[in-house]
Amino acid sequence: MAGDDFRQLVDAYYEGLYRFALSLARNPSDASDLTQQTFLIWARKGSQLRDLSKVKSWLFTTLYREFLRGRRRSQQVTALEDLPPGESDPAAPEVDVVAGMDADLTVAALQEVDEVYRTPLTLFYLQELSYKEIAETLEVPIGTVMSRLSRGKAQLRAALDRRDSRGRNKVLPLDSQMEGKR
Amino acid sequence: MSPEDAKIILQAYRPDGSDAGDAAFAEALQVAKDDPLLGRWFEKQQAFDRAIALKIVSIKPPAGLRASILAAETAEKPSPFWWVQPRWMAVAAGLMVAVVIVALYHPKAARAADDGSFLAFVADDAKHSERHGGRGEAAGALQAALSQPTAHLGDPMPVNFDELRTNGCRSLSFGGRDVLEVCFNRNGTWFHCYIVRHDDFPSLIAQARPEIENLDHYKMAAWTNSAQDFLVVSVAGEAALRRLL
Repeated sequence: MAGDDFRQLVDAYYEGLYRFALSLARNPSDASDLTQQTFLIWARKGSQLRDLSKVKSWLFTTLYREFLRGRRRSQQVTALEDLPPGESDPAAPEVDVVAGMDADLTVAALQEVDEVYRTPLTLFYLQELSYKEIAETLEVPIGTVMSRLSRGKAQLRAALDRRDSRGRNKVLPLDSQMEGKR
Repeated sequence: MSPEDAKIILQAYRPDGSDAGDAAFAEALQVAKDDPLLGRWFEKQQAFDRAIALKIVSIKPPAGLRASILAAETAEKPSPFWWVQPRWMAVAAGLMVAVVIVALYHPKAARAADDGSFLAFVADDAKHSERHGGRGEAAGALQAALSQPTAHLGDPMPVNFDELRTNGCRSLSFGGRDVLEVCFNRNGTWFHCYIVRHDDFPSLIAQARPEIENLDHYKMAAWTNSAQDFLVVSVAGEAALRRLL
């Protein structure tokens, strides 16, 4: 790939890839390494991609696979699907509480979400990929992505609520509001 | 579809509206429209999702990351010193001949990679419409022509590339090549029209009639008049784009 083209690709995607990597690796140093490694793999193998409209999906998929590969090498693998269920009905902070929260705190709350839910949830919030592309990236069925997003958001609300030290604006979860009015 | 089923589906609906054209959400959106409780839940959910998305996107990568990535890619390339050795010069000469032969007979491979990168560039730019802005007289005429309710994509348009570049369209650069962009509105829906010189992207578009293609998770209508290539991108789905043909 020509230098200018590579630079364009980096400029278009490195920030989103870094944010995704940060949510997976949970520290900036590993996230930077993962992002850099992803682009190196693109430099070596990107030309093999036949459907060039899928460059973005390819990059996110590659980063995710690199993360999994690195973790398999260095750690015992957690049986993610066996994790205990998250809180299904947590208190939900109001939107203005989220808006007033520091971005680092929001990311820290996101990192409290179980990885099995956090990965699709981060991709969803980056808004770079559709739910179908998230399913392809994570190699899971579409229905699984939807249910993991739902569960992940419930865990995220609970984590945000815990971090809302101001102790105000606590409201009923959206689910309870619906049920209470039915 | 029950409200509970609709809720599960709507959790996957991105707050920036990227999924507006996805038919898979249509039924769940209709349920939310018909059920006031679900409708209110959906509004709150979208507001919450929007707030979280804004926070996540505000996280900036470390200052040196971009430079490190670019430097690492450069480091992957061979050192300038090894090839001065005669043995390697012979190998390099042989490879050069092979590359020239391959390039002569398979120029499509290199062009396809370039075109793919360009389309990714366009998709990303269309996604960030908040960056779009700045109009001059020439762009105004083109914008007006595109916005005409009776105009069809592919019809002759008032395009003077150099004039648009200097007095009108938003001007971008991809690999040193000019890319012009103008937004237009048709029946309340915004579209993004990208124009490039055909000679700059000789293999990008061959057809004179607009054809609808996938562009990442958007749709685009693409055609050429031999001098310029046009890509009209819709973030509102294929149906909205088809109405312009």
